[in-house]
Amino acid sequence: MKLQTEAEQEWLAVVSLGGELDAYAAPELRDALLQALEQDLVWILVDLGEVEYIDSVGLGILIGGAKRANEHDGELAVICQRPNLLKIFDITGTRELLNVCEEESQARELLEQRRGATASGQEGGQEDG
Amino acid sequence: MAEAPEVELRIPCDPQYISVVRLVVAGIGARVGLTVDQIDDMKVAVSEACTNTIDHAFPPDESASKPVPITIRFVPREGELRIEVEDVGQGFEPDRVIAESREQPSVEGGLGLYLIRQLADSVDVQSAPGSGTKVIMTKRSAR
Repeated sequence: MKLQTEAEQEWLAVVSLGGELDAYAAPELRDALLQALEQDLVWILVDLGEVEYIDSVGLGILIGGAKRANEHDGELAVICQRPNLLKIFDITGTRELLNVCEEESQARELLEQRRGATASGQEGGQEDG
Repeated sequence: MAEAPEVELRIPCDPQYISVVRLVVAGIGARVGLTVDQIDDMKVAVSEACTNTIDHAFPPDESASKPVPITIRFVPREGELRIEVEDVGQGFEPDRVIAESREQPSVEGGLGLYLIRQLADSVDVQSAPGSGTKVIMTKRSAR
C-alpha cells in the first residue's frame, strides 16, 4: 500500500493512500492517523483516490480515526470515487460518519465549514462564560 | 460446457497472504461468468472470512505460531461460484455470532460477518467449539 501524509496549513493533515486497504496494510494507516493527531492535526482528509480495495479492517481504522479526531474537537473526511468502495461505505452505513465525499473540493469545503463552526462555537462559549 | 474443476488453495494464517486469495477469486470468478461487481463482492466476502480466521481461530497465546494454514476451496458450478474458507481452529458457537451479524454494526469491530452476509448470495457457517470453522459463501452469476 502507498501512503503519504502531508501537513497542509497548521490544522489539516492530508493522508493519501493507494493500493489495497486490508488487514495487512491497514495498520500503516492507523499509525499515520495517530501520528497526525499527536501533532495536533485534528482535521484530517483521507484521500482514497488510488485505493482499489477496502474491507472491514480498513473501514474500522477509518472509523477509529474519525472518533479520535472528534474527541480532539476535529473531524475526518474521506475522498472516494470508486463504486466498489462506495458500496462498502453504503452497506455499512458509514458514509455520513466518515464524511465521504466524491470530490476533493467538497471534502475540503466540509472540513473548513465544520472547523469554522467549531471555532465560532468555542468563541461563543467563552463569551457566555 | 464441461463443469470447471474445483481449486483448493492453502495459505498461512497471516494477513499478507489474503491478497493472493483475492487474485484467485478474480480469476475463477471470471471463468464462471461473474460480473466485475460480483467478483468485487466476493473478494471482500472471502477476505473477511480469512481475516476472521486469522483473528479468532486460535487463542491469543498461540497466535505467534499458527502453524496450520487456512484452506480456501473454490467450487465452480454452472451459474454460480461457491467458496469455502476452512480452518481447524478453536471454533465458536455460530448461532450467537450469526444473530449478532444480522444487525448493522455500529462499532469498530464486528463488521466482517455482516459484510459477508450482505455481499454473498448465501452464507453458511459451520462451526462448534473445538471443531474448527467452515464458512461457505455462494455467488450466483447474473446471466
